[in-house]
Amino acid sequence: MSEEPLLKVENLKTQFFTEDGTVRAVDGISFEVYEGELVGLVGESGAGKSVAALSVMRLIDSPGVIVDGEVTFKGKTLVGYEETTGEPGEPPELVEREEMLTEEEMRTQIRGREIAIIFQDPMESLNPVFTVGSQLREFIELNRDLSGTEARAEAVQMLREVGIPEPEKRYEQYPHQFSGGMRQRVLIAMALACEPSLIIADEPTTALDVTVEGQILDLVEELQRKYDTAFVWVTHDMGVVAEICDRVNVMYLGEVIEQANVEELFYDTKHPYTEALLASMPRPDRTTGELNPIRGVMPEAINPPSGCRFHSRCPDAREVCRRVHPDLRAIENGDHDGDENGRVHRAACVKHDAFDVGYPESEPLENEATGGFEVGLTQEGSR
Amino acid sequence: MGLLRYTVWRCLQAIPVLVGILTITFFLTNAIPGDPVSIMLGPTPSAEMVEQIQARYGLDRPLHERYFSYLAGVAQGDLGHSIYYDVPVLTKIIERLPVTAYLVFSAFGFALLTAIPLGVISAKRRNEPVDHVSRIVALIGVSTPSFWIGLLLIIVFSFQLGLLPATGLFLPWADPANVRGAATQFDVVVESFKRLLMPMVALGTLQMASITRIERSSMVDSLQNEYVKLARAYGVDERGVIWKHAFKPAQLPVITIVGLGLSTALGGAVLIETVFEINGMGRLIIQAINNQDYPLVMGTTFMLGALYLVGVIITDISYAYIDPRVSYGEK
Ligand SMILES: Nc1ncnc2c1ncn2[C@@H]1O[C@H](COP(=O)(O)OP(=O)(O)O)[C@@H](O)[C@H]1O
Ligand code: SF4
Ligand SMILES: [Mg+2]
Repeated sequence: MSEEPLLKVENLKTQFFTEDGTVRAVDGISFEVYEGELVGLVGESGAGKSVAALSVMRLIDSPGVIVDGEVTFKGKTLVGYEETTGEPGEPPELVEREEMLTEEEMRTQIRGREIAIIFQDPMESLNPVFTVGSQLREFIELNRDLSGTEARAEAVQMLREVGIPEPEKRYEQYPHQFSGGMRQRVLIAMALACEPSLIIADEPTTALDVTVEGQILDLVEELQRKYDTAFVWVTHDMGVVAEICDRVNVMYLGEVIEQANVEELFYDTKHPYTEALLASMPRPDRTTGELNPIRGVMPEAINPPSGCRFHSRCPDAREVCRRVHPDLRAIENGDHDGDENGRVHRAACVKHDAFDVGYPESEPLENEATGGFEVGLTQEGSR
Repeated sequence: MGLLRYTVWRCLQAIPVLVGILTITFFLTNAIPGDPVSIMLGPTPSAEMVEQIQARYGLDRPLHERYFSYLAGVAQGDLGHSIYYDVPVLTKIIERLPVTAYLVFSAFGFALLTAIPLGVISAKRRNEPVDHVSRIVALIGVSTPSFWIGLLLIIVFSFQLGLLPATGLFLPWADPANVRGAATQFDVVVESFKRLLMPMVALGTLQMASITRIERSSMVDSLQNEYVKLARAYGVDERGVIWKHAFKPAQLPVITIVGLGLSTALGGAVLIETVFEINGMGRLIIQAINNQDYPLVMGTTFMLGALYLVGVIITDISYAYIDPRVSYGEK
């Protein structure tokens, strides 16, 4: 390992204690983000991406609780508990470690100042009763200790930078006078203007049409290079991943099931779920014109399947997959151990030798993918 | 400047409504059975006297002629002449209106000052004990008639405890010479406030309760908004999140309820003025009706209608002030 990661998430668990049961929305995920890097968090809707993003900033509201795990950012402990105990189905007794930041410290040192967030729906993310400028100015003032006038100048400059024409005039206008794409530019300006080290973008282009999405992605790539800000880019769209990400974490039902740099993920895929995601997207490098949507629906996060959570939909599933729950492990790679930065390719699938639990001898499993039975097709990203 | 244009436009729109109010009051009043002349002159007046009086008040002319001359009069600020009091209607209204305005205005002040914090705290501490208590209080408030609250207050604070005077109300800037037992203006202010307290609470409780309810539910919704979460994600403190980012957009439904409450409160003032024997507009209307004093009935009804209209316009303008989409004509 050549350097310390900017953000390190280890075994993070966030659960929602609802009347119907405990929703294990994020169930022990680990990933790192290094400085200036664009890291993708991909998966179908309901995989736990948004919950993971909000958990990092400790913005989970009741009935959600971060029940376990560790999040460190620039040496500060954002989440960190002593041993946790509790009855299943009840929020556990949590004892925060000494060094874990207080709510006040999170607010004044982390949120906005070090980690900024961009939400999915630009139409809902701006307050309709304040001008766009006043919202920008308030957050810049707060997170960069600037005076009102300085913050204003900075806001106008940032609006210009994200490609909003006539920024002086637009500064005075209200959100309803902006289109969806323009609002998303405003929100990107807002995030960048606070000069954080990390921006978490939760499906920021999902609500936009394809042309506007393309423009926004180009803009983000350009600005990301210019400001050298690290990004966690949440999306369900492998196309977006291919376009902008350096490294990728694929999530399925609250878990990260594959972790690799973007080339290896696409050309040396290790996990059947990632394969299925890739098969479901149009690719210029594949000659077959046919798309293969992933079969079946993702199970509920309340009662996740035993063993490998993907076994109900995995084309390669065997008996053993129902029994053994694979953790995320480094998968040996013929050519090298990890990429140029020493970052390894990991996957959670027992068919790899790293697991050695008897996959080759195991009986194939009939399921939604292998034709045992068929449930409605789902494919994320139908626009 | 969207807001200014909107304000002017809204005031112009009020003119036809005022004419409508005038027309309806005029014809309704004339449809009341009974005859003011016979009341004035007693049971067996002579024919000449009847004619003389009718001529004096223009009652001998046909209805439509009287209608148009009444409209013309009002346009010039002449609301007619009170038969019973024998003074211009406007004089009587100017004498009585300020007390009613003082009462209604204070009742709303009391309602807003208590309801807004209560509603917001209730929303913030949803389903906690504070919330349950405030919701029960609000429920009792909306379901208790104001005159009953008034009577209860009088029984407790005047008859039992002897703390507050039960009847009468005057303005804080009344002349000390006209107020019994008051030597200085300060005494007048104190006495005026003591007399205001009970009718204000009696009239304001319903408003307070309904504003608390709408404030709570509106804030509960508002706190779920994505932009409120965004403010929190950018490190805005809890006070700013609640009182700025969630509060301002949440006031739109509240304003609507306050506007609607104004008509209820004006109606309620008639009852409260009767209970507390306050010589305001409400009692004036009742006296005018009992005496079949047509010009006074029309004048006071029209005045209350106009007052309500002012309330509606203020509501609309505050609405536009908060929601830019209204002043820019997009909603
Ligand atoms: N407030 C909540 N209450 C209960 N369950 C929730 C809540 N928020 C999210 N979840 C559940 O957590 C899981 C992950 O949700 P989310 O992170 O929004 O998925 P994604 O962003 O990947 O589409 C889902 O099963 C969802 O139903
Ligand atoms: S562990 Fe089994 S079911 Fe899970 S992805 Fe691998 S092969 Fe499929
Ligand atoms: Mg999401």
